[in-house]
Amino acid sequence: MSEDIKVDLELDLKGLLCPMPMVKVSQKIGDVPVGGVIRAVATDPGSMADIPAWAKSTGNEVLSAGKEGDEYVFLVKRAK
Amino acid sequence: MEPQQVDTLTGVLDKKMTRQLKQYLDICARCAICKDACHQYVATGDLTYLPARRAELIRQIYKKYFTKTGEFVPALYEARDPDESLLDELYESTYACTGCRRCMYYCPFSIDTAWILSVAKAILIAADRGNEMLGQLADAALMKSDNFDMFRDIILDGFKDIEGKVKEMTGDPSAEIPVDKEGADVLYVALAGAHSILPAAAIFHEAGTNWTLSMFESANYGYFFGDAEKARRIADRFMDEAKRLGVKEVVITECGHAYRVAQFFHEAWSGEKHPFKVRHILEVIDEYIRDGRITVRHGAITEPVTYHDPCQVGRNGGIFEQPRDIVRAIASDFRDMTPNREEQWCCGGGGGLVAIAEMEDFRLKSGAKKLEQVKATGARIIASPCENCRLQLEGLNDQLDLGLTVKPVMDLVVDAMEIRR
Repeated sequence: MSEDIKVDLELDLKGLLCPMPMVKVSQKIGDVPVGGVIRAVATDPGSMADIPAWAKSTGNEVLSAGKEGDEYVFLVKRAK
Repeated sequence: MEPQQVDTLTGVLDKKMTRQLKQYLDICARCAICKDACHQYVATGDLTYLPARRAELIRQIYKKYFTKTGEFVPALYEARDPDESLLDELYESTYACTGCRRCMYYCPFSIDTAWILSVAKAILIAADRGNEMLGQLADAALMKSDNFDMFRDIILDGFKDIEGKVKEMTGDPSAEIPVDKEGADVLYVALAGAHSILPAAAIFHEAGTNWTLSMFESANYGYFFGDAEKARRIADRFMDEAKRLGVKEVVITECGHAYRVAQFFHEAWSGEKHPFKVRHILEVIDEYIRDGRITVRHGAITEPVTYHDPCQVGRNGGIFEQPRDIVRAIASDFRDMTPNREEQWCCGGGGGLVAIAEMEDFRLKSGAKKLEQVKATGARIIASPCENCRLQLEGLNDQLDLGLTVKPVMDLVVDAMEIRR
């Protein structure tokens, strides 16, 4: 699925400790246009709950969130 | 500003008007001793960050609406309406403050500027001028608990990933991260990150502690945002869990503001006395070492080590000696900073500033006094039990390429801990 989605911004959040991955996504979401997508890669397992919780509370959308090896990969769409 | 909005904002001040706050607002002599105590003013020379000046903005509204002299002769008594320009100034000076309370320590009248600024935040939030990022992070924390069925399995999967690393670290395949364990003695409240769970799990395992891990993180952006109701609800998540599980104590991880919220604020906010003790993890680890429940090898670190007192753990939390005892038990060359303990300089990373992108340059600049202190010790390792402090210290280290290592105290303990079988 993720191969079909145009990514507007890649965020390397590897090595950042929670809650900083969520903080960085939140800081950068304004850098993509409405409807634009951030692909974020984190290594802290706490990000798997943090980033979707932030997206839900801010009205943005997590298109996908999953573990790939030791990395947690998110596609986050700016909804407003 | 519309009269109705002025009424709203002065109504917030009225609601917060305790005898203590009134005294703070009445008593300032403008001696400006606080200017030499504030790391931000010392680093920038900008009056916006002078503690008495920050408080003065609230004082001006107070004089206009709560004193007769200010009401009738505002120009003479520097009384002022809460107009848009005042709110602009208030936002900049208030959300920049780390709440370190070093100004209060040096104030001859012990005026708690951080308290006054907590009122300023309430006014800003009422004016829809609260810091957006801090508000978002507070809401995200509540989102997890309000929709817990949606997040429970994700959180548990994360803990399982970390549990595998605890087994590796301890060399014991039976080592585990207990969750939701009724009858546990200790509820450990970590941050969302593995870094605050893994070392504590290894230490609890080695000490033979009957513990369980909270499903919720201790970080409380509702507190930084300035919304006491959200801050209480964020802390309620693990306080209610502790009550449900019947633990004897809640142990807060290496996080300054989370410890202060749990230890000093939550009972007042909730109106209930905790049926358990609250302690900081370093109080517990110090006790384990003294009681022989864990053993650390003295001299495990030979490089010079210094310790940074996080303001919310040290000056505002009263924990000074336990972390030093732990570090001294491990490092053969411990070098304290000058000044230290109650007089320690704030590093500049508190108050939620590490999450506010537009404050990054200012935040790093405000760490100048801390850098001086660290450099004077000649230490190569800085231990500090607060996530915000470590992020700031790492930022300063990276910016100036100092080659220092910044570590949680727990990591030093785990590296030096002798594993018994």
